[in-house]
Amino acid sequence: MISFDLRIDRRGFSFDVSGQFDEGVTAVFGPSGAGKTTLLNCLAGSMRPDSGSIEIDGENVYSSADGIWVRPEKRRIGTVYQDGALFPHLSVRRNIDFGWKLVPAEQRRLDPLEIVELLGLSDLLERMPSELSGGERQRVAIARALAISPRLFLLDEPLASLDVARKGSILNYLKRVHDEFKIPMVYVSHSVTEVVSIASHAMLIRDGSVLGFDRPSALLLTAALDGSSVERFENILHGVVGESTDQLTTIEIDRISISTRHQNKNPGEKVVVSLGANQIILAPSEPNQLSARNVLKGRVKEIWSSNGKVFAEVDVGPEIIVELTESALNELGISVRSDVFLIFKSSSVDVFDA
Amino acid sequence: MSSDASIIVLSFQIALVATGVTLPVGMLIAWLLARKQFHGKFALDVFVSLPLALPPVVVGYALLWLVGTHSWFGSLGESVFGSTLAFTWIAAALAAAVVSLPLVVRSFTAALAGVDPRLEVAARGLGSGSFRTFFTITLPLAYRGVIAGALLGFVRALSEFGATIVVAGNIPGRTQTIPAAIFTRISAGDSDAAWRLTIVSILLGVMALATHNWLLKLSSTVSRDSSEVG
Repeated sequence: MISFDLRIDRRGFSFDVSGQFDEGVTAVFGPSGAGKTTLLNCLAGSMRPDSGSIEIDGENVYSSADGIWVRPEKRRIGTVYQDGALFPHLSVRRNIDFGWKLVPAEQRRLDPLEIVELLGLSDLLERMPSELSGGERQRVAIARALAISPRLFLLDEPLASLDVARKGSILNYLKRVHDEFKIPMVYVSHSVTEVVSIASHAMLIRDGSVLGFDRPSALLLTAALDGSSVERFENILHGVVGESTDQLTTIEIDRISISTRHQNKNPGEKVVVSLGANQIILAPSEPNQLSARNVLKGRVKEIWSSNGKVFAEVDVGPEIIVELTESALNELGISVRSDVFLIFKSSSVDVFDA
Repeated sequence: MSSDASIIVLSFQIALVATGVTLPVGMLIAWLLARKQFHGKFALDVFVSLPLALPPVVVGYALLWLVGTHSWFGSLGESVFGSTLAFTWIAAALAAAVVSLPLVVRSFTAALAGVDPRLEVAARGLGSGSFRTFFTITLPLAYRGVIAGALLGFVRALSEFGATIVVAGNIPGRTQTIPAAIFTRISAGDSDAAWRLTIVSILLGVMALATHNWLLKLSSTVSRDSSEVG
């Protein structure tokens, strides 16, 4: 467990963030410039805040009051950077060994061979970083950080430079890593959808302070209500893969099924589905002859507005939040307990492994 | 008159010792300039570069004062070596070191600046102290630029004349380097002998600069290759 309280006050930037991360995966998100990377740098020890404290597993690694500052090399915190930051002059094997060799034998809890196996790197060990694809680099970066048996695992936008397919596969590896080794993970991202499928907690940061710290979906709602901090609200639904055709895959969620773009998944696989609240059209009566593949019937449970945006929570089996404008709401004559139809394209749905 | 061979050997000895001094000192200063923020950084930069902007004679005169018995450095040298350092080959090496230091520092700073500091941050996070990080990450990634810089410093030390002649004199067999010998031979009207050493100087300079440029070209293509993949 890690608890921290960090303050920085510089011209044009003030940062005041405190919290506590336990065993699970904590997502830290917020717009760029919010202070996400500052938080990671302070925890890792590459940046020294003006005042505050950091405690990892009962050990004080920073306390401005007691004048304690443990240097980064003594913290045993594993960090994965956006583009991997692999050492270009060392082979994959020597990259992974680099930190492992420096950990005192009695503190080594993870076996590099096991890590290499788990991340599917066995065939890449003799390669140089320049010979790796983006996804492979990130896997090596994860392995390298794990090899020091970290007390805390920090991920700084680890998927930002990858395409969608590779993102999914790295997320899977991260999930495996977390299930296997139970190391507290802090996952920094500006993309909300990326994080929801693995995080148990989420922290929303903006302008150097914490706006919320909660379950990811609850926090996403706060973020949506807050307006500017997150670009859109995502509905997060858990489901199971159903039938697939060449173009489409069906996902079963509670009593409903929705169409998504074709997924390379087998029927029965568990997935997490993300659907933007602003990607959904609300209609008072059943539309016909639409190109959109998804039309769901439901009943409005609640309507609220915030920062000029209106949100409607619709019960279609699961509950889905739809974003619309004030004028649309009035013209359509929709109110609480109205029967409505939700319409969205199969391409608006993102699917992640659960 | 000393033989060409003995003059060349003495010149190499002086230039090698000078490079032996500028290599660690220059690396430390370059590392401070490239990686650290501190008060007096600007002043350090100016002070180290000063010999580039001064007439070498002035540098030599300042060094003569420094190694003279009335400064603490001079008295330290005297107590170690038993006599004043002025007009010894050690003074010649010192002059060559001071004059070549700005070139070495500049080359090293450029070489270090070519290494992504995030790799050092990553290494620190993996448990490597700053000393180990420098020798296992920074230096291996910057070594071509470092060798090129050391080479440049070495040829500058070999060709040093103005400061050397003031602080070390032009004593055949003791402090007479290639440039000083050429000067003596020209003054004596012995142009054949002067030309022999002149040609040696030109050959050494061309070889060193060619190697220097080749190394720098190599290191810039290497870093471009790796950035393209990334």
